[in-house]
Amino acid sequence: MFSYNFYLNIFLIFLIILLFIFYQRKVNDLKKAYEEVEVILAIRTKARTRALNELARSLEEKVKRRTKELEESRIALMGTLEDVEDARKIAEGEKDKTLSIITNFSDGLLFFDKENKLSLINPQAEKLFDIKNQNTIGKSVSELESFGNLNLLVKTIGNEIKEISKKELLLDSLTLEVSTISIIKGDEKTGILVILHDITREKTIEKLKTEFVSLSAHQLRTPLSAIKWTLKMLLDGDLGEITKEQKEYISKTYQSNERMIDLINDLLNITRIEEGKYLFNPVLSDFQEIVQLAISSSEDIIQKRKIKLKFEKPEKKLPKVKIDKEKIELVIQNLLTNALIYTSPGGEIIISLKNSEEGIEFKISDTGIGIPKIQQERVFTKFFRGSNAMRVDTGGTGLGLYISKNIIEAHNGKIWFESKEGNGTTFYFTLPCGKRLLKNSEVL
Amino acid sequence: MTKILLIEDEQIMLDLLRRKLTEEGYEVFVAKDGEEGLKVMAEINPDIILLDIIMPRKGGFEVMEEMQKDPNLKRIPVIIISNSGQPVELSRAQKLGAKDWLIKTEFDPQEVINKVKKQLWQKQS
Repeated sequence: MFSYNFYLNIFLIFLIILLFIFYQRKVNDLKKAYEEVEVILAIRTKARTRALNELARSLEEKVKRRTKELEESRIALMGTLEDVEDARKIAEGEKDKTLSIITNFSDGLLFFDKENKLSLINPQAEKLFDIKNQNTIGKSVSELESFGNLNLLVKTIGNEIKEISKKELLLDSLTLEVSTISIIKGDEKTGILVILHDITREKTIEKLKTEFVSLSAHQLRTPLSAIKWTLKMLLDGDLGEITKEQKEYISKTYQSNERMIDLINDLLNITRIEEGKYLFNPVLSDFQEIVQLAISSSEDIIQKRKIKLKFEKPEKKLPKVKIDKEKIELVIQNLLTNALIYTSPGGEIIISLKNSEEGIEFKISDTGIGIPKIQQERVFTKFFRGSNAMRVDTGGTGLGLYISKNIIEAHNGKIWFESKEGNGTTFYFTLPCGKRLLKNSEVL
Repeated sequence: MTKILLIEDEQIMLDLLRRKLTEEGYEVFVAKDGEEGLKVMAEINPDIILLDIIMPRKGGFEVMEEMQKDPNLKRIPVIIISNSGQPVELSRAQKLGAKDWLIKTEFDPQEVINKVKKQLWQKQS
């Protein structure tokens, strides 16, 4: 039978097989465990890598964003720098432009800083005052007096440099118009600009014109007086008897001639106003008396035109006014004549006087044709005549109100009106009295 | 007879005034400019002078200035008859002794006669 060895061998083989199986299983287990570990490891590694990757990516993004931001800032900064550069260039260009305007400006210009020291002068101003190439910059007003003709300018503008507008300055054969303008930045005065405008040519033309009108008006008056006197003597019968018909014609001719004389007188008055020598010898006068006188001298025409004239005298006696009596009479006469001519028979004129803040106020209202609204702006201009006025009276010169306005303003007074076409007109004027009295220095 | 001297360069004014004044009964002498006027007044010693201002050779103001220097001529009243009547001229004439001033376009011959009468009357009294 089988030997013990045989059994032992079988047992051993079996054992070995068992051991092998066991081992195999263990190996498998280990393998599995290892694989599991590996898987876990792999998973873990993967996760970490992903996390790392994500971190890296976010860092990268952050860096990119920062870089972009920086880039943008850099561009913005560059842009700003460029803008500043551009602005500087523009400013410089503007400064050059301003300088070249100042240099080439036909008017003389001087700029004084806030301490009244000269900080800029253009060539024209240097030429006018004969101070070319002299070191005037930085000099104070009083120091400038010793340079060329600048003393004349200093006299006009004063050491403190007053604000003046279009003041005339005579410089040898030139007439300059001097104006000063304060330059203010915010609330602060940075300096003062002095402008010198040469008006010599305008002055010459104006003078020639005035002389021409004045001379021709005088020349025209000579034959007009001869005509007037001859006609008057004819009418009075000094040169022999004339028929009734002849008398009528001569009378009409005489009236035409009178109108011509009025026109010439008005022209002369205008040239005298424009020559600035119109007011003469103003004296303290009783204004009410002058008005009364003007009314009395128009009595004939008031009756002829059947007009009711009321003179409302002031309750209290008016203070005396300093006036050029003859000229004020002319104003009242002009206003009264206008009211009389342009008011239909049966109409009413009211003259009243009162003492107001502005001084004495004269008021004349009529129930006449009025002034068309559209033409009211031009009422005080030379040769103006209302379109409706021309139909009523062809003889007017259109100079009366212009002259009146000039006379009243020469007295520092005011003149104005209210009017409605078809309803009548009211003219007012004031003459200063008391403290506001006309100063002698304003009179030639 | 009252003697009147007319100094005026405008012929027609001269004729008209001469006629008017003669009719009024005055003895009228005429001169056509200032220089002639001064000569005539020295000769005839008029009672009153009517004097124009703007004239050739010698104007009215110069005539009056020369009259002021002569005590005889200085006494003769002068009435200015002029085409113009600027206040400055009026005051100058007044200073030179003119008694009155007439602007030709504003007065007529009859008014001139009235002024002459007034001056002569004032002179007498």
